[in-house]
Amino acid sequence: MRKLTLILLITSLLAVLSFGALVSAQEGEPQYAGLDKDLAGITIKMLTIGGGQYEAMYQSLPIFEEATGATVEIVTLLDGFEIDKKLVQDYATGAVDYDVAWNHTSFMSRYVGFVEPLNNYFSAEELAAFSPSIVEAATIDGNLQLIPRHADISALHYRTDLYNDADIQAKYKEATGADLAVPTTLEEVDMQARFFHDNGYTKYGYSIVGKEEAVTGRFYEFLFGSGGNYFDENWEPIFNNEIGVSVAELLRGWYADGIIAEDTPNLVWDGDAANFCNGDVALKLEWYGWYSYFQTPDSCPNVAGNFGLARGFSGFQNEGARPTGWAGAHAFSITSASQNKEAAAQLIKFLTSERIGYEEAQLGFLPVRDDVWNRIISDASASGVPLDQERLEVARVQITEDFKTPPLIAEWIPFSNLFYPHLQAIMLGDVTAQEGLDAAAAEARQLLADAGYYDE
Amino acid sequence: MIASRVSPHRRLNSIIINSFAWLILIALALPAVWIILTAFRSNSEINASPPVWIPREITFEAFGNMFGLNPNLQQRVAVEAYMFNSLFVALSSTVVSVAAGTLAGYAFSRFKFRFHTAAFLMLMLSRTVPGVALSLPLFLLFTRLGWTNSLVGLSFVYVAINIPFAIWLMDGFFRQIPRDLTEAAYIDGCGYWSAFWRVDLPLALPGLATAAIFAFLASWNEFQIVSVLARNNASKTFPPGLFTFTEQFTIDWRGMCAMSVLMMIPAIIFVILTQRNLVRGLTFGAIKG
Amino acid sequence: MLLPSFVFIIIVTGFPLLYSLYVSFTPYELLKPNSLIFELPKALNNYTRLLNDPVFWKSLGNTIIFLTVTVNLEYFLALGLSQLLAQVTRGQAIMRTMLMIPMMFAPILVGFQFRWFFNSNLGLVNNALVSLGIIGEQTRIAWLVDEPLGMICIIIATIWMNLPVMTIILLAGTLSLPQETYEAADVDGASAWQKFRFITLPLLAPFTYIALTIRSLDVARAFDIVRIMTDGGPARRTELIWTYAGRLAIEDTKFGLGSAMSWITVIISVGFTVYLFRQLVKSRIVE
Repeated sequence: MRKLTLILLITSLLAVLSFGALVSAQEGEPQYAGLDKDLAGITIKMLTIGGGQYEAMYQSLPIFEEATGATVEIVTLLDGFEIDKKLVQDYATGAVDYDVAWNHTSFMSRYVGFVEPLNNYFSAEELAAFSPSIVEAATIDGNLQLIPRHADISALHYRTDLYNDADIQAKYKEATGADLAVPTTLEEVDMQARFFHDNGYTKYGYSIVGKEEAVTGRFYEFLFGSGGNYFDENWEPIFNNEIGVSVAELLRGWYADGIIAEDTPNLVWDGDAANFCNGDVALKLEWYGWYSYFQTPDSCPNVAGNFGLARGFSGFQNEGARPTGWAGAHAFSITSASQNKEAAAQLIKFLTSERIGYEEAQLGFLPVRDDVWNRIISDASASGVPLDQERLEVARVQITEDFKTPPLIAEWIPFSNLFYPHLQAIMLGDVTAQEGLDAAAAEARQLLADAGYYDE
Repeated sequence: MIASRVSPHRRLNSIIINSFAWLILIALALPAVWIILTAFRSNSEINASPPVWIPREITFEAFGNMFGLNPNLQQRVAVEAYMFNSLFVALSSTVVSVAAGTLAGYAFSRFKFRFHTAAFLMLMLSRTVPGVALSLPLFLLFTRLGWTNSLVGLSFVYVAINIPFAIWLMDGFFRQIPRDLTEAAYIDGCGYWSAFWRVDLPLALPGLATAAIFAFLASWNEFQIVSVLARNNASKTFPPGLFTFTEQFTIDWRGMCAMSVLMMIPAIIFVILTQRNLVRGLTFGAIKG
Repeated sequence: MLLPSFVFIIIVTGFPLLYSLYVSFTPYELLKPNSLIFELPKALNNYTRLLNDPVFWKSLGNTIIFLTVTVNLEYFLALGLSQLLAQVTRGQAIMRTMLMIPMMFAPILVGFQFRWFFNSNLGLVNNALVSLGIIGEQTRIAWLVDEPLGMICIIIATIWMNLPVMTIILLAGTLSLPQETYEAADVDGASAWQKFRFITLPLLAPFTYIALTIRSLDVARAFDIVRIMTDGGPARRTELIWTYAGRLAIEDTKFGLGSAMSWITVIISVGFTVYLFRQLVKSRIVE
């Protein structure tokens, strides 16, 4: 009895607290953070991502400078892959001359040791504002590698004009015996993509990137969605098991049958998205970041207003199947070489504050903070386009439940570089799925053995 | 002077040759035309499928955006800095590398000395390594010397990269000049130095022009090294500047092409001014008279 | 007279080469500072590893094919074009400037543009072919994927951008040839072909070898255009020495291994240039 009272007490307390949090989040202006210390005379240097919308946030830097007295200098702006190259070279040669550096959940594992553990600079309370799934994903050996800025996760994009067409629905029923509904498994995706392509409703059924880390990640998504993985808990490669082979064979079949574009093995993000934008694809996994591009009639006249978004489908129905949800978060870290770590932490607090997060979310980026989610979803409810709100709601569920980073090893990129050529060879039919994956697994094992992953 | 002797047959011949040359050049220029047109297209035309071949409207929006004339765009591309840096680095490295290369080329073509062949081969060695392999060790070295972010430092690298080319070319051109000419100059009382200045150098002018054009364009377009050595926007040149228009996933084709058009202008001016020196060996006839 | 040139070259290429020679004998990885250690018994590990690496041999083979085809095609095109331009009577200045326009774009831009031209679904090339009825909607060509089309496409882009180099060298060379030889041939009633075959070609030989050597070294270093167009893919079909070495050394952070690969390549290139250099010397003796 006493136990029950206690539980009741706690739950009601929690309810009150969370309600209070909800109310306070909805009330008033979103707040800045990190402005509470005097940093007069300190220059904080920052190396961060540039290009288009990414740069909007840096317009707020004068507010930080004015409030704290610090000077913020952006060393240079580069795109993600270029920054990674620069960071590798700088970390390697000890040429780091900035305090705050861009980081990303897909790249962070290789920077371990070159950035400060952020648990030391952020209180538990401050960290509680961020999505636990991301904070958890970004913690390596108990050290928080980065503070997220905004996130992205792959979502199912499908063409509503096709899925809602009565004739197509009837034809699909006739052809397959199933109802045409937004797919939730890879088997359904396969069936539908083939149906749309074979009946000429779209030039291709599906679209996927075919090279570099992009395809390693997409394959990973199908793999873990089907209950598989690249490595087991001892870092032994296991992707050449039946699950891996079935996924590789799916891709090979799609390529051979024209379900995906002829030049898929040379497509990266822009070419892949362009196929969808042009209306040649019925369904695909894609990043939320493309939303405003796809919705603009000027850039994508064939799909603007004609597509819907759904949570990632799960992989092949094996044991352990789960929704896809390859995800990443752009983020900030403090470099170990920094001479002004406290000041750098203040700057990061400012840049990841509710207010800045809210302003970024208004540009279309997915938030990483609950308070920003609440605001932006409530804003979207006023939008004339229902998908605006639906998108955020689906995305929030995905980020909370499906957020999955690549394996947290420093060798992720080298692994990807040895893996994807084999996957391409499988797709192109140069080798069988089993042969290709076996060869990749042997090389992967060698890579990790060299790096000292096994006690041998 | 020879116009009176030109037969109708010859005239026809020359018309055919001229039009054929134009045809080939225009065909070669097509991809370039497409790139240039992209800079002036409206956004909806750029990714249109099927492609719109001839633009329906011309807009200067991309250039306006680049120069910060669009109040809706917060970011601003550092074009002036890129332009200044590119010009400084390309011009200075061209002048120095062509000067040094001419001297060395003259030495190789005119004098026999120990290790002649070895020295020449060493030059080749230096041309076998691409920027991607040079950049990191160079970066280490320049960090120690405090030369990163420095235009002079960058120019120094480009000089070294362009010198082998300049030497070979000049060596080849100096060898074309008949020895008797130089020797005649000695007989007329010229020293080595003034023979070089008055006789050999003017005769090798086409070679000099060729070397200068290629040195200029090579520095103008180099990407790997500058992207490692220039650590902030203020010290970058155009090629890494083009990456302003790539985002994580997308490429702003129009912006990138617009910057390329801007980037072409100084290069065209340089080429127009320099190629004038590519003249038929007028001097060879001159000595006979 | 040689001193200034060698000072520049020794500082800029000498140091990096020696440094990478040292590193090539170590297991150095960029983000593991402790791995920069030289141990005699392990010194040749990187080299033995590469010699047993099928990808290395594949990329070497691809580079040789790429180099041979590109340089030869460039030479024949440039020879034709330079002879044509030398004959042009009007507007030669404009033509030369026009000729050089492809070189005025940064290689990275050329890479991006040609990748887009050859995109199978939305690229200009396939769409032009579909409009002309040469291929159907369903039989689009995967330019950058199919073998050997991918290689052909990177060769086309490389030649397009660099044709001016060889053309201008040969043109400048042609213009510097002694006029009196031609006048003498005219007197003897030689045909245009005979003049080209027996005067221009032999006299041009030194320039030809210079141009071939320079272009061979440059093509062997091909990186920017290829990296962006295909990045060596798919399935290593267009993998070249430097796309592979660059990826190993920087992206994969295996700088020791990448340096070893650089050195093997440098040695092969030097061997190749020595051969061309001998030809150059021979052509001078003929002269």
